[in-house]
Amino acid sequence: MSEASLISFEKHGPVVLGRIEAASVLDAMNVSHFGAELTAYVEANAGVRLLLDFENVDYLSSAVLTELLRINKKIAETNGGFRLCSLNRDIRKVFEITNLDKMFVIYDSAGEGLKKFARAIEIEAQEDAWEQMNRDT
Amino acid sequence: MSKPFFESEFPSTVEAMGPTLDRALQALAARGWIDASQEFYAHLCLEEALVNAITHGNQGEAFRKVLLRMSEEDDRCVIRVFDEGRGFRVDEVRLAETDQHGGRGICLIKFCMEEVYYDREENCLVMKMRRNTLSKQGSVEQ
Repeated sequence: MSEASLISFEKHGPVVLGRIEAASVLDAMNVSHFGAELTAYVEANAGVRLLLDFENVDYLSSAVLTELLRINKKIAETNGGFRLCSLNRDIRKVFEITNLDKMFVIYDSAGEGLKKFARAIEIEAQEDAWEQMNRDT
Repeated sequence: MSKPFFESEFPSTVEAMGPTLDRALQALAARGWIDASQEFYAHLCLEEALVNAITHGNQGEAFRKVLLRMSEEDDRCVIRVFDEGRGFRVDEVRLAETDQHGGRGICLIKFCMEEVYYDREENCLVMKMRRNTLSKQGSVEQ
């Protein structure tokens, strides 16, 4: 029996918004399903700039943090980007306690995340072009 | 040790852990140890401790048992998670570097609980908490 999808993916310009829609609790019971879905998407979309939206998530455990780190590494290997948004107060505190608030760029809302992530990609492209021009001259 | 108000034993799988975890949270709320604002942290501590017992203590071997026991001792709730492993020293568990895996579960428990240690004679992780203090207990490591 196939399991229902936990995450929906939607393209917004250069950024893909991943909404965790079908689970308010991310824990040891569903973490492998969560990780498998993210992995499948990332492997099929090399270089993806993914903003993962936690708006509908009320709870997560450290097993999920480990999974997020694994996905972050996987995306970085293909020169993509991985950022998070809409963490509730308690989940944000979990990131702070484990120092992962320093590892991930975290936005307060999906709107803010989409805007700032897209801007960061634009700046990165300008800097790459500038470096290329300097190398060529 | 006073008479436990909650006790549940299950085989070492996360699927078997679920019902025990749910009933333990209900028992903590019913006895007034946690209110709605503390439920997140109680869930977190119980899950991290039980998963630790399953995966590290019992090496994920389903035939080994995990036992969760909760009792009221003076003005504290004492939560004991028994496994069949060799135990560990809680004070030797360090928070992993930001890009590394591991150690986070125990660090989250240490943040929330007033006292945490592994009792080698009893083969259990002991966590002690006061009423509704889980979210306010520790300080964030820098």
